[in-house]
Amino acid sequence: MKTVGKKFTTSFLLLLFIFNFGNVQAQYLEEFEEKTTEFTLDNGLHFIVIERHDAPVASFYTHVNVGGADEPVGNTGIAHIFEHMAFKGTKIIGTTNWEEEKENIEQLDDAYSDWLRTKYLPNPDSSTLAEKWAKFEGLQEKSKEYVVNNEFTQIIEQNGGTGLNASTGADLTNYFYSLPSNRTELWFNLEADRFKNPTYREFYVEKEVVREERRMRTDSNPIGRLVEEFLAVAYTAHPYGRPVVGWDSDITATTIADAKDFYEKFYVPSNITIAIAGDVDPDEMKGFAEEYFGDLREGKPAPIVTTLEPAQRGERRFTIEGNSQPIMLIGYHGVSESHTDFEALNLVGNIISSGRTSRLYKKLVDEEKMALQVGAFNGFPGSRFGSMFLTLAVPNMDIDVDTLEHAIYEEIEAVKEGALTEEELNRARTNIRAGLIRGLNNNTGLARNFASTHATKGNWREVFNRLDALEAVSLDDLQRVAQQYLVRKNRTVGATVRAES
Amino acid sequence: MKRLILFTFIVMLVLPLSAQKRYDEIEFPEINPIQMPDVEVFNLDNGTTFYLVEDNELPLINMRITIKTGSILEPENKTGLASMTGSVMREGGSTNYPADELNELLENNAASMSTFIGMGSGGGSLNILKEDFDELLPVFVDLLQNPAFPEDKIDLAKTQTNSSISRRNDEQQQIGYREFQNLVYGENTVYTREKEYETIDNITRDDLINFHKEAFVASNLTVGVVGDFDSGEMKVMLEKAFGSLPSGKETNLLYPEVDYDFPTTVNFIDKPDVNQSFVTMGHIGGLRESPDYAALQVMNQVLSGGFSSRLFQEVRSNLGLAYSVGGSYGSNINYPGIFRITTMTKSSTTAEAIDAIIKEVKKLQDEPVTEKELRDTKDQFLNSLVFRYDSKSKILNERINNEYNGLSQDAFDEFVEGVKATTIEDIQRVAKEYLRPDNMQILVVGNAEEIGNQLEKYGEINEVDISIPEPPSDEEPAVAGDAEKGKEWLRTMADAVINPDTEFESIDEIAVVIQETQMGAMEIQSSSTTNYRNITSERIMQTPQGEMQMSIENGGGTLTMMGNEQPLPPQMAQPMINEIKRSYISVSLDTDNLNAEYLGDETVDGTSYVLLRVDLNPQVTFLIDPETGLPARSRYSEMNPQTGQQAKAENVYADWQVVDGVAYAYSVTSYVDGEKGGEMNVESHSVNK
Repeated sequence: MKTVGKKFTTSFLLLLFIFNFGNVQAQYLEEFEEKTTEFTLDNGLHFIVIERHDAPVASFYTHVNVGGADEPVGNTGIAHIFEHMAFKGTKIIGTTNWEEEKENIEQLDDAYSDWLRTKYLPNPDSSTLAEKWAKFEGLQEKSKEYVVNNEFTQIIEQNGGTGLNASTGADLTNYFYSLPSNRTELWFNLEADRFKNPTYREFYVEKEVVREERRMRTDSNPIGRLVEEFLAVAYTAHPYGRPVVGWDSDITATTIADAKDFYEKFYVPSNITIAIAGDVDPDEMKGFAEEYFGDLREGKPAPIVTTLEPAQRGERRFTIEGNSQPIMLIGYHGVSESHTDFEALNLVGNIISSGRTSRLYKKLVDEEKMALQVGAFNGFPGSRFGSMFLTLAVPNMDIDVDTLEHAIYEEIEAVKEGALTEEELNRARTNIRAGLIRGLNNNTGLARNFASTHATKGNWREVFNRLDALEAVSLDDLQRVAQQYLVRKNRTVGATVRAES
Repeated sequence: MKRLILFTFIVMLVLPLSAQKRYDEIEFPEINPIQMPDVEVFNLDNGTTFYLVEDNELPLINMRITIKTGSILEPENKTGLASMTGSVMREGGSTNYPADELNELLENNAASMSTFIGMGSGGGSLNILKEDFDELLPVFVDLLQNPAFPEDKIDLAKTQTNSSISRRNDEQQQIGYREFQNLVYGENTVYTREKEYETIDNITRDDLINFHKEAFVASNLTVGVVGDFDSGEMKVMLEKAFGSLPSGKETNLLYPEVDYDFPTTVNFIDKPDVNQSFVTMGHIGGLRESPDYAALQVMNQVLSGGFSSRLFQEVRSNLGLAYSVGGSYGSNINYPGIFRITTMTKSSTTAEAIDAIIKEVKKLQDEPVTEKELRDTKDQFLNSLVFRYDSKSKILNERINNEYNGLSQDAFDEFVEGVKATTIEDIQRVAKEYLRPDNMQILVVGNAEEIGNQLEKYGEINEVDISIPEPPSDEEPAVAGDAEKGKEWLRTMADAVINPDTEFESIDEIAVVIQETQMGAMEIQSSSTTNYRNITSERIMQTPQGEMQMSIENGGGTLTMMGNEQPLPPQMAQPMINEIKRSYISVSLDTDNLNAEYLGDETVDGTSYVLLRVDLNPQVTFLIDPETGLPARSRYSEMNPQTGQQAKAENVYADWQVVDGVAYAYSVTSYVDGEKGGEMNVESHSVNK
């Protein structure tokens, strides 16, 4: 009897809870309308300022709408290389003599391009090649004279900057850190300077650092290797199939001239959104924005990606050999985040794999003990373009990947047959809402969320309005999208296997 | 006027090309003061300590508990017990809120609960929306106090842990991190012990129950709460919820001394599927209580803290040898930390990176740091202090951590003063005193073929064996016996049990089963029909709860009671199927297809028996009376469904009766792990032809 009573209480509370949550988005939206100020400079650069006066700190987040997917053929990895270059200083920071250094950098790039062209001749003469390389290395050695090592980042750290970093994804590049709030002007100064005056200082040494990053994340990492291969198999035409860190030979081939061209095309104000959250005054921020970013060249609108992934003609399967335990990826081509089915696929992923009550966890991890880990999520490797619904499966010891694969299909088939319940759907919505609320109390998260939402959906309010979109998704929608997208013909399956010894 | 215009003109001419003002011309306004919240502290009579901080920005409440316990208390042969106790507490739910019910309750309310036990502390958390606090606080306390530790979740934890063990050599950074600890602390210490298949197998449910019982008592408990509440009301609720916890005995955590004599070693682990070397170098570190703690932290910052550090500048920015390079002189509170520097570099530049690192460590000793470096490092530290208190949770956590670790309330302020007072000479002095660049241990995890002989110049290379010890076998160790003699004895036994030329379908049996229980022996009337060829069986038992019927067929089973038929869970059906398969009748029926090994003789109670191991799955060993050819005992391993453990079982057969050519032991006594489990007295058997 006790259990019955408790169950009743629980579901009764649940009802209350949903009722309370019904207008949660409206309530928070209203609150943030008051705390949030936004403005667009004449050149098109958009700013969002979120006031939070709890502590004398502020977080800064620059979202650039350019990622691996935007890169020109032959220059995979260039968005990421440029991101690294953004820490190398400006014309006044990080140099002993910019005028001379500038000349050196130009000569260095010419020398490298010359060597590169020779290297790719049908029968390059080895002594000519060595000569050209020596010339390049001589200039590179000379370039060290002008460098004040890491001065740009040192200034930030010296001023108490924390969380300093940047990242490049398939869809976007972002730059972020926090400062004591009285040093806000310093951020404006440094951020404007680095994006107005990129110098490409230490370009060729930094490419080697990037290559080490590639070795660390991809070549020497079992999951990294599998993911790179997976995308290359799943996408035949769309640039989502290419690694964000770049193919090794493309990293070699990329020159400063390429990076400059990339910067000119993509780092234009209309392609950038900036958010600032913390103990700041919006009017003052607007003044600084105009002072520091007002003269950022307007440029032309950034190029757009026009390639569409053609419909898949049948299941694709592959294995890669390594010397680690098996891992498996199963992915289905889905839609971009602007498509109406995107949220429904998100919800399917959430319901089947998020939390201990989810179907994949309960069945495959808990009951059958087949999987050490299993997860499903929508929007891989990005979501600006047609993306994938991806399942990652890590089998337990002595369990075949095939066995686990089929068990996952059984759960997906159940979704197609309409097995999901209203209770599961509500639970997923509730947890997404709560996750949103929990993210509202830190400056970094707020700045990131508001800026990226503006950049991808045109309005930071979508952070809250998205909850209405979730509300509109029905069980029928979940069944329909599963039937439409989660089908064999649309699937890519890849796994790591042990190399034969 | 004219003058002014001219002046402006000149100024414009000399302005730098960049239109914006220089970064170093900015004047910073005064920073707003940090508002430190009140922390309310109180104790209950049972010993629980509470820390409360109000934060009404969002309608959330976060509770964090700390428990004085840790894996340093677990026995060596049960390594993994502490962490398993921590995880199964949560995974298994409580007696009142079993796992499934608890998970639904929490996830329906977007709430989360966790429990864990680490090396030197345990803890848990409750993160919820404030309106659920009343309902979920008692549930959380119930979980802390009455975890159910159900067998299936223990199995789950064991399966998962075993899988993690099998994967522990997949990633080179994980290998490098772990093996370097072994080099510093020694392989078999409380600081480095690894979970192994065997130590996981050794853990029983009782172990978890006892570990929990010792640890989760009020004397060991600290509770911190931050969120949207009124401290007065919260206090009342907490007193009510935690007041009934037993006081218990405060745990004493003993951290063994570390014996380290600065060996210089070169160690290598081959990982053929990588193209980068993961390099770790260093030696033992220090203690937090050292008077040089602050100076060492400043030294750390100069050497390896962030983008401005020397290692970052040299190994990454100047030489382009690595993306990742870092390290620190570690200072722990209870036992010495580790001084370690790590980097990842392409195989071909392994030695170059090692040399660059050694050079930087030596440079710290040989040359004073510059004025600018010291000033920048201090500025960096002092200017970022404001982030230390930028959220109320951070303030609460620091307070609780200091308390738990026995640090004074102003430990941090003292540290800040120490940093301010650190001089150039201090840094060089501690670098000379604490760093031993000539007595470092080097560990490289990488691709042997690509690295070649680069490491030879550092000394004799020790190849570290990281192979994972095999799981303990369920079977007896495979001592090779005499197969020919085995087959002979198998036939002898078969002929003694079943008169040759006897054909039959099944055997009926009527018996009294005497089961040993905690309340004493219980007698159950039983009648059964078993077909040993098809492995089917029907058994009807008269239990105190009424008639119970158990059926085995098609590899599974059902249980019918009071007219309700339900499937038998596999962990119950399988032992019954195994029992039929390894019975002396099944074995005797199948001698043509079975192999057996004669393992010698064994004397039990003055009688010498023939040891015969029959190679079937499940394996069984018979002790055959050489005079009669009948089995006197059988031995086998079986999963005990109550404990989830492999148990060693032995049946003793006596009082043989022959009916219709089939011999049947009328007295069977069973022992599990040496303890009597039950006996069966057969009243009659008959053979269905």
